[in-house]
Amino acid sequence: MTAVLAGDSIDCSLGGRQILRAAYVDAIPGKITALVGRSGAGKTTLFNVLVGRCHSNGGQVRWQGERVARPSLPILARRGLFYHPDRPWLALHLTLAEHGALLGSGRDWRGAAETLSATNWMDRRVGSLSGGELRLTELALGLALAPTVALLDEPFRGLEPLHREQVATALRVLAERGAAVLYADHDVEAVRRTADRLFSIEAGVTRLVEGFRDRPLREWYHEWPR
Amino acid sequence: MSLVWLRSRLFRSYLRAFILLWLIAKIAMVAGAVLYRTPPFAFHPFGEAVACAVELWLIGLFVRRSHEDILLGNLGWSLGTALAPLPAVHLALSLVVSLLG
Repeated sequence: MTAVLAGDSIDCSLGGRQILRAAYVDAIPGKITALVGRSGAGKTTLFNVLVGRCHSNGGQVRWQGERVARPSLPILARRGLFYHPDRPWLALHLTLAEHGALLGSGRDWRGAAETLSATNWMDRRVGSLSGGELRLTELALGLALAPTVALLDEPFRGLEPLHREQVATALRVLAERGAAVLYADHDVEAVRRTADRLFSIEAGVTRLVEGFRDRPLREWYHEWPR
Repeated sequence: MSLVWLRSRLFRSYLRAFILLWLIAKIAMVAGAVLYRTPPFAFHPFGEAVACAVELWLIGLFVRRSHEDILLGNLGWSLGTALAPLPAVHLALSLVVSLLG
């Protein structure tokens, strides 16, 4: 199946240090793809390159096989990308309902909020929510956008088990609706439970790991353990 | 630019912050005019353009620092698109002040 979004041979240096080395990652419709690596391995930088928030020194971003000359989040979002960074990105003084109104009348944000049990705090300011509630609110908006590709940077980070399960539900719902889900994480057991495909990343080098559920962790990486 | 955006509470919050910045810039311009003994409320296109650019830059900075540019991006709007109505607000306010002054 053709990848909707792909980053191919991505090189990226930040502050004189090479972060990504010919990195490759892609997202396939209906599948949950995980990008796994330790902190500092280059996961966030690779995602930033994909959405144009970081300029690469080489390589290309492709959307449905075609090179995107100047990737940017607004341009890719209009094609169907939803991007969830590794930090809160909603307006803290607005409620979920007010964010939902931003989507326009054609988007079922209430239905998305119900799917993730986020209706209880629909009229509370986002800034007053707990970390888990905030994450689910962000993902409810992502669901409501009905994306073709969902790119999520560490969506499980810092969550309690119940909220982790609800985030996993959000990823599965996105994939069941045909979205290509690509998320970054470093929780190996969560990845084994959630992901259909896996790329590992170590020192900016990526690798597609076939049969990752049955393989020991050390085989996921080029240089693991150090 | 859609009516949904212009009517949204998020845009209204940017508008409020922009008007506050306009007011601060206008007070500074009036103070400068008084200092140099020129008409304090006169409309100077170059000065207004510079003030407007600074106000937009500051609003953009606030939006990026709070990562709301990602919210706008997910909605398919660039920062420039979202803030595009604001220069017209600056122009209108400055013209009204120059006419009243």
